[in-house]
Amino acid sequence: MMEYILKNGIVYDPANGINGEKKDVMFKDDIIVDEVSADAKVIDVTDKIVMPAGVDPHAHVAGPKLVVGRLYRPEDSRMGVSQKTKVLRSESGFSIPSCPTTGYRYSRMGYGTVVEAAMPPLEAKHTHEEIATIPNIDIPALPLFGNNWFVMEYAKDKNIEDLAAFISSWLKISKGYGVKIVNPCGSEAWGWGMNVHGYDDKAPYFDVTSREVVMALAEANEMLGLPHSIHIHPNDLGHPGNVPTTLETLDSVKNIKKSSKATIRDQVMHVTHLQFHSYTGNSWKDAGSGAVEVADYINKHDHITCDVGQVTFDETTTMTADAPMEYDLFKLSGLKWTNKDIECETAAGIIPCIYSKKSPVSTLQWGIGLELFLLINDPWKVCLTTDHPNAGPFMRYPRIISWLMSNEKRQDMCENEVHKWIYKRTTLPTIEREYDFYEIATITRAAPAKIYGFEDRGALTPGYKADIAVYDINPNDIDPSKQALDIEKGFTVADYTIKDGQILVKDKEIVKVKESQNIWVNVKGWERQEQKVIDNIMPFFTQYYSVKWENYPVQDHYVSNPIRVDVEK
Amino acid sequence: MFSLKTITFDQIKTSSIALEMDEVIPDEIYSWTEADFAKYEVPIGNSRFPITDFFDITVEGEAEGPNEVKMIFNGDLNRVKYIGCKMSAGEIICNSSVDLHVGAEMSGGSILVNGDAAAHAGREMSGGYLEITGNTKEFTGASYIGEWRGMTGGEIVVGGNAGKQCGECLTGGKIHVKGNCDILAGIHMTKGIIEIDGDVNRWPGGQMKNGTIVIHGFLGRLLEGFVLEGVVEDPEDSGVVFPGKYIKYTGDIGLNGKGSLYLDAEANKEKLSTYGELDDDYTSIREYRNL
Repeated sequence: MMEYILKNGIVYDPANGINGEKKDVMFKDDIIVDEVSADAKVIDVTDKIVMPAGVDPHAHVAGPKLVVGRLYRPEDSRMGVSQKTKVLRSESGFSIPSCPTTGYRYSRMGYGTVVEAAMPPLEAKHTHEEIATIPNIDIPALPLFGNNWFVMEYAKDKNIEDLAAFISSWLKISKGYGVKIVNPCGSEAWGWGMNVHGYDDKAPYFDVTSREVVMALAEANEMLGLPHSIHIHPNDLGHPGNVPTTLETLDSVKNIKKSSKATIRDQVMHVTHLQFHSYTGNSWKDAGSGAVEVADYINKHDHITCDVGQVTFDETTTMTADAPMEYDLFKLSGLKWTNKDIECETAAGIIPCIYSKKSPVSTLQWGIGLELFLLINDPWKVCLTTDHPNAGPFMRYPRIISWLMSNEKRQDMCENEVHKWIYKRTTLPTIEREYDFYEIATITRAAPAKIYGFEDRGALTPGYKADIAVYDINPNDIDPSKQALDIEKGFTVADYTIKDGQILVKDKEIVKVKESQNIWVNVKGWERQEQKVIDNIMPFFTQYYSVKWENYPVQDHYVSNPIRVDVEK
Repeated sequence: MFSLKTITFDQIKTSSIALEMDEVIPDEIYSWTEADFAKYEVPIGNSRFPITDFFDITVEGEAEGPNEVKMIFNGDLNRVKYIGCKMSAGEIICNSSVDLHVGAEMSGGSILVNGDAAAHAGREMSGGYLEITGNTKEFTGASYIGEWRGMTGGEIVVGGNAGKQCGECLTGGKIHVKGNCDILAGIHMTKGIIEIDGDVNRWPGGQMKNGTIVIHGFLGRLLEGFVLEGVVEDPEDSGVVFPGKYIKYTGDIGLNGKGSLYLDAEANKEKLSTYGELDDDYTSIREYRNL
């Protein structure tokens, strides 16, 4: 039995309302406790920031598209190379780092949980194999449902009960955590070389609209009482003039009642990488920011939460199940592009992207992301993401934090570094708000944990997992408004990262590597309905899938050491 | 080049696995003494070994910066790669053929290879001068595998023949091949100049968007994406003039490319005439493509 005291740290724990209090944090084995014995080891963290370990609510870190991305962008893999050490394997990659590198870099930043945001059920085995090779972080994965042929049939028939049983069954089959929707009906339309361009466009052949699919999935999600709400990447991503589609999507679920079983979260829809969905105009020639309108909607409604997908001005790799959008991007940039159709479930595309400060469009996207952060009043409704690697690599989170905490830095960038569109097409230069450490802790750990309904992390509550980050920043001795570089440096490498009570990072060096854990949701009480659904779809599955049913589910040996979250009916 | 410090590497042992010399460039070692070299371990495969196991190193003179350094390698360098990789100044002379990636990513200074170079010579070079007196293998002045940006500046001179995909993804600078060139020279190039004194096997300039390819020798086969413009005299690109008459093509039209491909008219005339394809007024040059 190991006991530790993190002594004299300055604690930011928004879930418990602790805002910069000097206090000790204690843990015994892998659990946070409120008292320890006299034998407890003392770690002196005097005047250093102590927070729960970070929770990344949306990133692409494991799965087939990552592998394709690495194969197809070897030029990315040669960046960030470092030799193996006694503790670590060699590292490589920038926007699509290798699996071990991904775990190491999150660990260095003080993160403990990262959600893989798009897992095709057909490729779930592969995703879990990759999760198993990413150390030091827990990784729940969200299976894709928004273009699944069975889902579209249930939605067309408004058969919510069978849809709920289907979701329940498919979460077990894929070892998934929640319901992910990507460009509903649009990725399916890509099979015909098409897309949908509005919330009420119909998918070819299926005669069902995006609205019907999203609302059906939201109702089924609440019928099951899943810990997380539906998690949506709306239609029209990245297209100028997509604000109406975004607002229609958000508004469509406002009357759906949240399940009483989902006691942690408040929302019924989490909208992801909202920056990409907040553009006005008709083309890139007259595109502008719709952040004011979108943020205003979120400020006035409590059924929505979001993450931003902040552009970081890097050369990165975009990868998404929104395959038609990737084709559009290819037509714009002409860079190398690949895409894939995943049978009856979804599609995917990959293309490199260069976000440049000299580019008006990149500048606009950067400005919109920051506007959303700064215009959404309640930090519990917004999370820090870059939609890694789509808007930039997750390693840039500390830099984004420095932008959020320093108006002076933002103004300097507007004036001297980015394109003049920042003044003409956004309101960013007029916004003076600066985040404090408490708000940073909220958007990087407390809010994502709440949004996902985690009952064991994202806070320093006794009984929770001992997932803790210590940063070498003294809040009483730093002015984030004027010391943006110091803030970025301070959050880039944690002084300590503690995961499940194990010290993984000590004095800014990784000293230990531990096995990652998958988190998946097991809905109980729907077994009879699940079997009925499987019996009904079996003839279709047998005819159209390229794998046999017996080989389709993720068997237990693909998911070593999982964390199973049971949901009772 | 003006040098104050000369560092001579006399080989005493070879390795079956290549030595990686990208850390031993003027930028890094200009202040090193023989004692510093004695402490240095060079990467070989997944391990490091004392560089003095492989070279007898002599240091003469002092340098205050990399531009005051001259490095001379003597011996068999066929299993020594990354020579001059990422260097920004100084001078390197290799009195042997060299392994992969000589002068890769260099931004300044000069390298002279008195022998052949393996693949990726001058890969992604952005400045400086690289001369190889012998032949080069594939991807001379090209991009890294998968990249779409190759050499962006500087000059490469190949005294002998160049292998496949010479100047692939060229985005600047000049490559001068004094011998022959294998297939797909200048594929995907967007800018810069490739001048080939000898013959070209096939398909130069595939998917090129811009830039200039000049072929003084005989061309085996041209891609369909090139449009015959006619005969021009003394064409020029970025201030470099190529005296004489040339048959000009523009391509690759498959990508709306505006690249220029010049065939030395006189050099090709004699050969083409043996096929009866070309008369004195070049009126039958349209047949050229179908050879």
